[in-house]
Amino acid sequence: MARALVLFAHPCPESFSAALHNTAVEALRTSGWDVDDCDLHAEDFSPVLTEAERRAYHEEPENITPVASYVERLRAADALVMVFPVWNFGYPAILKGFLDRVFLPGVSFKLVDGKVKPNLTHIRKLAAVTTYGGTRMRAFMAGDPPRKSVRRAVWHVCRPDKMRYLALYDMNRASDVDRGRFLNKVKSEMEAF
Amino acid sequence: MRALVIYCHPRPDSFTAAVRDRVLDSLSERGVQTRLIDLYASKFDPVLSPSDLELYEDETRNTALTQDHVADMEWCDTLIFVYPTWWYGLPAILKGWLDRVLVPGVAFKMPDDAHKNIRPGLTHITRLAVFTTCGASWWLTRVIGQPGRRTLLRGLRFICAKRCKTAYLAHYAMDSSTDTSRKAHLLSVSAKMDRFLGPAPAALEANA
Repeated sequence: MARALVLFAHPCPESFSAALHNTAVEALRTSGWDVDDCDLHAEDFSPVLTEAERRAYHEEPENITPVASYVERLRAADALVMVFPVWNFGYPAILKGFLDRVFLPGVSFKLVDGKVKPNLTHIRKLAAVTTYGGTRMRAFMAGDPPRKSVRRAVWHVCRPDKMRYLALYDMNRASDVDRGRFLNKVKSEMEAF
Repeated sequence: MRALVIYCHPRPDSFTAAVRDRVLDSLSERGVQTRLIDLYASKFDPVLSPSDLELYEDETRNTALTQDHVADMEWCDTLIFVYPTWWYGLPAILKGWLDRVLVPGVAFKMPDDAHKNIRPGLTHITRLAVFTTCGASWWLTRVIGQPGRRTLLRGLRFICAKRCKTAYLAHYAMDSSTDTSRKAHLLSVSAKMDRFLGPAPAALEANA
C-alpha cells in the first residue's frame, strides 16, 4: 500500500487547522493510503538545529543520527502532505525546523559540485493544506513566501508527478460557509490524491 | 538612533558571528545605542504552545513570557537581522521569535475609540536590515523566490513605518566560499552599514 506522510503543525486540537488535518487524514485513508500521521506538537518535535548538528551537517550518513526516526519515515513515504497555518508569512517554527533538521544532505538532497540534486524522488505526490490570516492580495504583495517554499523549494527536491497547494486566505474574516467549503475541497482533493 | 540586532547561529565560531561583529562595530563607531538578542545563546523557545495561542489575542497577557523581547522591540527604531538562510528561509528559532513576539498589540494595534481600523504596530521602526548567508547560489535563490528575504523585507516591512529604509546583503554559495570571498563579504557588510546608517562621525570630520 502506498504510504503518505502527513506533517501537521498546529498546537491546538480545536483549531480549524486541526479540522483540516483530520479531514485530510481521513480522506487519504478512505482512498486507500497507508497514512503516517505526524503531529509535530503532539510528538514534541524540537525544531531547533543544535550546534552539534550544525557541525556535523555535511557528514553523511552520521548527520541523520539525531533525527533518524524522522528520516526513516520520510524515506518510507510515497506522498508528503503538509498541513499548517501561515504565520507571519511563513511556516510555524516547528515545521520550518523539520526542514532545517530532517531535510539533510544525503536525505532530501545531494550536493554534487556545489549544486543541489533532488534526493526525495520517491515522493511522487506533494500537497500543502494551509490557511492565511490575511488576504490573497496581501500575501501576493509579500511574495507569498510559504507558497514559494512548498511549490519551489520542497518541490525541487521531490520532483513529484502531482502537486497541490490548497490555501484558504483571509481566515480572519472567513465565515462558516467559507470554512465548510474549504473543508470539502480538501476532502475531495485528498480523496482524489 | 536605537538599534536592535537579532542574531542567531548555533556555532559561536561561525561566519555569521563575524558578520554580526561587523554590524555591531558599525553601530558602535557611530555611538548608536544598541541591544543584541542572541537567540541560541539565550535558548529561545520558538514553539507556540497551546496556552500561548489561548492568550494570543489577550493583549494584557499575550506578552507575559516574551516581555523583554517586546520591550526591546518597542524601544528600538532600527531592526537588524543577522542569520544563516536555511531552506531558503529563516532558521526555525528566528521564525518562532517572530511568531511569539509579534502578537496582537505589538505587531498590530486593534481598533479603539480614536481608530476605526486595525493598524500596523511597528511604525516607530524606520530602518530594517537583513544580513544573511545562503548555501544556494544567487541564481537558485532567485528561482526559488527568496522566501526568507520576503518574510522580513515585505511581510515584516508592512507593519513598520511607511518610509522605512531597508537594506539586504547575502553571501551566496556558502559551501563553496573561500577566505577571499568571506573577507570581501565582511567589507561589503561595513559598506552596506555605512549606506544604511549614514556616514560615521569620524568620516564626516575628515571631509569637513
